[in-house]
Amino acid sequence: MDDIARPRIDVQALTLAYGTAPVLKDLSLPIARGKVTVLAGPNGCGKSTLLRAIRRLLRPDSGQVLLDGLDIAGLNDRGLARQIGLLAQSPSAPEDMTVEELVRLGRYPHQSMLQPWSPQDAEALESAMAGTGVAHLRQRRIGSLSGGQLQRVWIAMVLAQETDVICLDEPVNHLDMAHQLECLDLVRRLNVEHGRTVVLVLHDLNLAARYADQLVFVKAGEIAASGAPETLMTRELIAEVFGVEAMIITDPVHQRPLCIPIKGMTEQG
Amino acid sequence: MSNSAGITAMRAPLGLIGLGAAAVLLILSGVAFGSSWIPLEQVAAVILGAGDKTQQLIVLQLRLPRVVIAVLAGGGMALAGFLLQKVTRNSLASPGVLGVVDGAALGVVIFLALLSDTANALVVSIAYQPLAAAIGAFAAIALVFLLAGRQASSAIRLLLFGIAVAAVAKAITMVLMLIGPIYRTTQAARWIAGAVNEINWGEIQITAIAMVPAILLVLLVARMLPPTDLDETSARGVGLNLPVFRILIFALAAALTAISVAFVGGVGFIGLMAPHLARLIIGRNVYAGLVASFLLGAIMLVGADLVVRVAFAPVEVPAGTVTAIIGAPYFLFLLMRKDRQNG
Repeated sequence: MDDIARPRIDVQALTLAYGTAPVLKDLSLPIARGKVTVLAGPNGCGKSTLLRAIRRLLRPDSGQVLLDGLDIAGLNDRGLARQIGLLAQSPSAPEDMTVEELVRLGRYPHQSMLQPWSPQDAEALESAMAGTGVAHLRQRRIGSLSGGQLQRVWIAMVLAQETDVICLDEPVNHLDMAHQLECLDLVRRLNVEHGRTVVLVLHDLNLAARYADQLVFVKAGEIAASGAPETLMTRELIAEVFGVEAMIITDPVHQRPLCIPIKGMTEQG
Repeated sequence: MSNSAGITAMRAPLGLIGLGAAAVLLILSGVAFGSSWIPLEQVAAVILGAGDKTQQLIVLQLRLPRVVIAVLAGGGMALAGFLLQKVTRNSLASPGVLGVVDGAALGVVIFLALLSDTANALVVSIAYQPLAAAIGAFAAIALVFLLAGRQASSAIRLLLFGIAVAAVAKAITMVLMLIGPIYRTTQAARWIAGAVNEINWGEIQITAIAMVPAILLVLLVARMLPPTDLDETSARGVGLNLPVFRILIFALAAALTAISVAFVGGVGFIGLMAPHLARLIIGRNVYAGLVASFLLGAIMLVGADLVVRVAFAPVEVPAGTVTAIIGAPYFLFLLMRKDRQNG
């Protein structure tokens, strides 16, 4: 109950348009403290836009995003970066950069003119690399890494930022199945072991149901439903939000709901 | 492993020491060589106040000014190039390629055309020449930015529009020179090729007074440069507002370019080569990279001036011709290597 009463992030009546086309319409969403929240929905529904608005990469036309009750519009860039970390959808850095140099950039918001590089920064750097299992790669150039390794390095950079909230925009998009699981297990571990609040955008509904504490369905710029995966993964909701006729069973291994799509339903039909 | 880490740690200091030594040696040689040879040990002595009247005249009035301006202008162009390459994440970016140099040239040529009287004397102080160069440089970079529009984060678009803006500025400059009086044409042509001779201490003073605050500003923003290695979203994720910062850096690079070329003229390709070589020698450290770029820029222009003095004496060939002869193939090499990487 406490989680709902004092959400970590509270999105209030957010409206945001690209040009004249509204992408988010009067959208409100409390995001629970210390939980994994997954935003899911069909292409173009606004889930990535919502995540970008939460991280203030986009300015809303109206409404606000509260972080612990404070409007993030009032925070400075580095201050916000000390509170909310972000893994971009397709992050990039020069190929000849070393792993350590990249992870180091996560400490940027903690440094200042008077405090260029402190023991605290070094400690955060080491623990971020250790926590993601990339410490042995520190001298490697990132261009020489595999897709799975590289994604772990990017997560290490976000981790080095030492933010309580971490946003990840489709972090497993370009990964094969083994690395998808490895990446999401790592994210889950950060949440469990360090109590970090995680907000994820995921394309794969079954991965979403497997890793989410709070699942959010976004449809046409509005929240279609929000809650525990068990309550959201129903035939009716999946038909309404994704336009897919599906069967829902319980994953016999993880005891999570599993969606078996049967066929797409056209709007005209 | 620890051994290679040790070498990595020593790389920047060793590189800087080497470059510093090379710069000092070249500066002394720049004063020593000329129509009459002054031994190196006497060069230092004369600079410090010793020597006879002739030596004092040669060193202090003829040779030292061109060496000092070469250090300032070469170094300033290299710093501008470093900033541009860093913030565009592209080693082809430089004040020349992005149209800043030709913009500055146009500013100066318009200044000379508008503010000279019939006897070809300037009606205002020569101290305004850097200002004219700066206005031209800012106008060029602003135009490149506006044309690139929403895609200002794309280095390729910036470079293409930069090349286009440079071509237009060059064409207008050419027209102004062709329709201008003969004397002014020669004056402008020398300026456009880039030459460090005929520089006096007054002009150096103006350059230095403008350059010092610009360099301090560079050191002030250097701390914010590392996240520019990231894509725009990730850079903002770690707290650097890249779209705003990019504009600040472009303005600073334009100012540095304008101050550097205001009296010397458009010395080509130093802003391209020096920061790129600095990266190869130093690695990714921004402070060491800035110092190394400045030193390399200084080395290149002092060296180029030395070459034209020794090789073409007694004819005074603009130093910019040498930097262009070396720089243009270097640019092609970078272009072809990039092509291979992308293909």
